[in-house]
Amino acid sequence: MDSIRQEKVQRFEEFVDRRLKPDLVRAISERDKVFEQQKVFSDLRKNIENLEKNSVTSLRTLVNLGSEVYMQADVPDTRRIFVDVGLGFHVEFTWSEALNYITAREEKLARQIEEYTRLIASIKAQIKMVCEGIRELLQISDGFY
Amino acid sequence: MDGQVKGTVTKLSSLFPVEEAQKAAKRVEETIAERQKELNLVGDFIADNRGLINLVQKLPDELHHDIMVPFGKAAFFPGRLIHTNKFLVLLGEGYYTERTSKQTVDILKRREKALESQVESLKAVMQDLKAEASFFDATATEVAEGLVEIREEYIDNASPEKVSEAGSMTALTEDEEYANMMSKFEEFEKEELAEESDNECDEDEEYGHMISKFDKLEEVELATKLFSKCNEDENIKLDFGHYRSEYSFDQKHRNSEGHQLNSPPKQSKDAQAIGEELPSKHAFQRDLCNQFEDSKLQSVSEDVSPSDQSYELTQSISIEKASVLPEVKENIQAEPHSKNKAFTGSIVEHTHNLEMKPREQTTATSQSTTTQTSKPVSRFKMQRR
Repeated sequence: MDSIRQEKVQRFEEFVDRRLKPDLVRAISERDKVFEQQKVFSDLRKNIENLEKNSVTSLRTLVNLGSEVYMQADVPDTRRIFVDVGLGFHVEFTWSEALNYITAREEKLARQIEEYTRLIASIKAQIKMVCEGIRELLQISDGFY
Repeated sequence: MDGQVKGTVTKLSSLFPVEEAQKAAKRVEETIAERQKELNLVGDFIADNRGLINLVQKLPDELHHDIMVPFGKAAFFPGRLIHTNKFLVLLGEGYYTERTSKQTVDILKRREKALESQVESLKAVMQDLKAEASFFDATATEVAEGLVEIREEYIDNASPEKVSEAGSMTALTEDEEYANMMSKFEEFEKEELAEESDNECDEDEEYGHMISKFDKLEEVELATKLFSKCNEDENIKLDFGHYRSEYSFDQKHRNSEGHQLNSPPKQSKDAQAIGEELPSKHAFQRDLCNQFEDSKLQSVSEDVSPSDQSYELTQSISIEKASVLPEVKENIQAEPHSKNKAFTGSIVEHTHNLEMKPREQTTATSQSTTTQTSKPVSRFKMQRR
């Protein structure tokens, strides 16, 4: 009886350690990636709005060549912008088109984040439940013997 | 002796359990993997740096290059690079500087050197770790094979007898050891006495001889002591009390013996002669002091001529007292006994013994207490024979 209980406890613990916790870690890292994406797009939106507001048509900027070595770059026409739409594709947009796309993208990212948050919460709840189950098992066995 | 097990046999598995050894090996392997990752990272940095050097060298070849200028991470504009010989390089801590292509290449090469040294150090660390891992692996396999460690104490040739048969046997062997020494000692003594009687006039020379001889003797003694020190240390617990009593007895005995050996007029003469040469022989001052102190103490019982005594007094005052004290104590200890015996003794025999003592005391201070106690034992044992 006691050995069965012990085995059960061990199996529960293994489930928590080998299944639930790695799942949780993976979910959190996925969500972080989405957060990053969201930040990239919100930055882009802000920048485009800035360009619009100041009606900048030509731009001079610094390009990172790698290892923090920069070189000046000249953009003659800023009204056409290439935006990453995923899977390595870039679409040529005007400012207003780009802003529309960015809002749609941001909504999707927000949904994704919410999804991941729910997933993380459920994994956490499962971990807590299994831990509670283990505790109960141990308490009962303690009470009997 | 025959049936006795000399050493101890320890199973290696009791010292290092198999699982532990394997665990240790695994841990070292993990560390190696970590270092390997680091090394790969640094290698990537170096590759990147080389690519960048190539790029920086090539860029000034043309006035401008058509590129896509990144605008944030998710967007870019079509554009071109301008001012192709002007680079903004990060120096660190948020400081940037404008450099030409060549200067930038220099900076990048220096960075590469730093990275390479990092790689070297990492490789050295990994080599160490690999050696460690192989050691752990070897241990694990040895343990798995059921290797045993056999350990046996190293025992001197002389000591097994002593270990097996303590007591009379030990004393005998030690006595044998000192028999050699003693014969030498006596030889020296005889020579010395002969010399003394022969040329009483140049006693300065004789004194020098004496000193050198006793130095030699002391060396021999020290050598034998070193050899037999371990034995003595072993025996000291057994024979300590015995030696203790012997010590005092031998000392008294020797004192009286020594006094009987030489004639009384010589004593004063000896002392005077040495006293005369004292200023020139600075090195022997302390020895002489002890000698004088000794003769002074004895003169209380012996009634040496007053002139002699006064001379000694002046001498003894001039010399530091700390070194004299032990000798004084010894003499006091010896005094009641020597009072009983009719004193005919001279200082000569005494002088030698005393002369050796202060030196021994200085050496003894640096040595352990066990050797300190064992030292007089050997001397007096020798004397007894």
